[in-house]
Amino acid sequence: MSLYQLHRCVWDQIRAGEVSSGTGHSFDANRYELGEEERKAFDGRDVAALYALGLHPVLLNAFCRASGYSRNDYRQVLQQFAAPEGRTARWQR
Amino acid sequence: MAEIVLAYCASHAPMMSAAREAATDDQRRNFFGALDQLRVKAAERNAQACVVLSNEHFTNFFLENFPQICIGVGERNWGPTEAWLPIDKAWIEGQPALADHITRSLLRNGFDPAISHQLELDHGVMTVYYELDHEFRLPLIPIVQNCAVEPLMPLRRAYEFGHALGAAIRSFQGLERIVLVGAGGLSHWIGTPRVGDIEEEFDRWFLERLSTGKLEDVLDMPDDELELAGNGAHEIRSWLAVAGAMSPTTSRTLAYEAIYPWITGMAVADFEPE
Repeated sequence: MSLYQLHRCVWDQIRAGEVSSGTGHSFDANRYELGEEERKAFDGRDVAALYALGLHPVLLNAFCRASGYSRNDYRQVLQQFAAPEGRTARWQR
Repeated sequence: MAEIVLAYCASHAPMMSAAREAATDDQRRNFFGALDQLRVKAAERNAQACVVLSNEHFTNFFLENFPQICIGVGERNWGPTEAWLPIDKAWIEGQPALADHITRSLLRNGFDPAISHQLELDHGVMTVYYELDHEFRLPLIPIVQNCAVEPLMPLRRAYEFGHALGAAIRSFQGLERIVLVGAGGLSHWIGTPRVGDIEEEFDRWFLERLSTGKLEDVLDMPDDELELAGNGAHEIRSWLAVAGAMSPTTSRTLAYEAIYPWITGMAVADFEPE
C-alpha cells in the first residue's frame, strides 16, 4: 500500500482517456499496488474517500471531471471535510 | 540584443474557453477586452517570439520527477492536452535558439532549470497563448513552474528567477522583439471543499501591490498563508516571475473580474515602461 501508487493509478487512468501527442495507453488498475481501502475508493469513484486518503487536489479535480462529477457535486461531497478557518491573512488585516 | 516589447500576466482557467458564455457580458467584455488589446499590441510591435510561464498541472511531470522549473527548448510542443478544451490541437513552433540561450544564462546565474525537448501544453499555457495569437503563428517558449506539488519554490525565489529570466532574454542576440507572459492565478480552489470560492480581497490586494511595486509583503508570505486565497493562488509565481523580469517597471491592472462560473479571480495586468 502506497499513496504514490494510488496517485499513479489515478493519473494513468485520467491520461488514458485524454488526447496525447501519439503515445497510446491501456489502463488496468491491477497493475498498481493499491491497499484494500484505496482500491475500493478508486473502483467506487468515491471522491470523499479519495480526498480522505490524501489524493492530491489537482488529481482529485481531474478525476472528478473524468468521472462525470460537476464541481458543485464534488464540493457538496467534500463539505464533510470543511473546517472553519481561524487564521487571518495579511491582506485581511 | 532582444527587447521585451510586451509583458503581461493573465489568469488562466479552462472555463474561459470551455464555458466562455457562463461569465456575464460585462465580465467577458472586460477580461477578453484587455487580452484583445494586448494581442493587437503584440502584432503592432512585430513580436517575433513569446515566452509563457505557467503552472505544471501533472501534464508533463509526475511524482517520480517534478522539477520546480522546466524550459521548453524543443522545435515544437503540442497542445492543448485536454481533449475537452475547445481550442484546436496543434503543434506549436518553439524557438530553440532563444530557449537554449535562456537556459544557459540561467545556469550561469544561479538557477538550475530542467529542460524538455517536447512539452505537452495544457490549459495553463494554451488558453492565454490562444488569446495572444489565435493562429498559433508566434513561436512559443513554454516555461512550466511547479505551483502545485509541495515543497514549492518560495515566492521570493520565483521573483528572483524572473529577474534572471528577464536578463537572459535581453542578452539574446538572435531576435529583437519578445513578448513575456505569466499565466495563472489569481485566487481559486481546486479539489478541496472550497472549490468555487474566490478571495476577492486577496486578488485586489495582490494587484495593488504589483502596481505599486510594494512586493515585500507578498514575497515574504509563507505558502500556508497564501493558501488562504486557495491552493490555486500558488500560481502567482508566474506573475511574480514577470514582475521580477520587468522590475523596476510596475504593473497596470487592465481587468479584474471575480468570475464564479470559472471559479477564479480573473485578472489581466501589463508592464509598460513610462
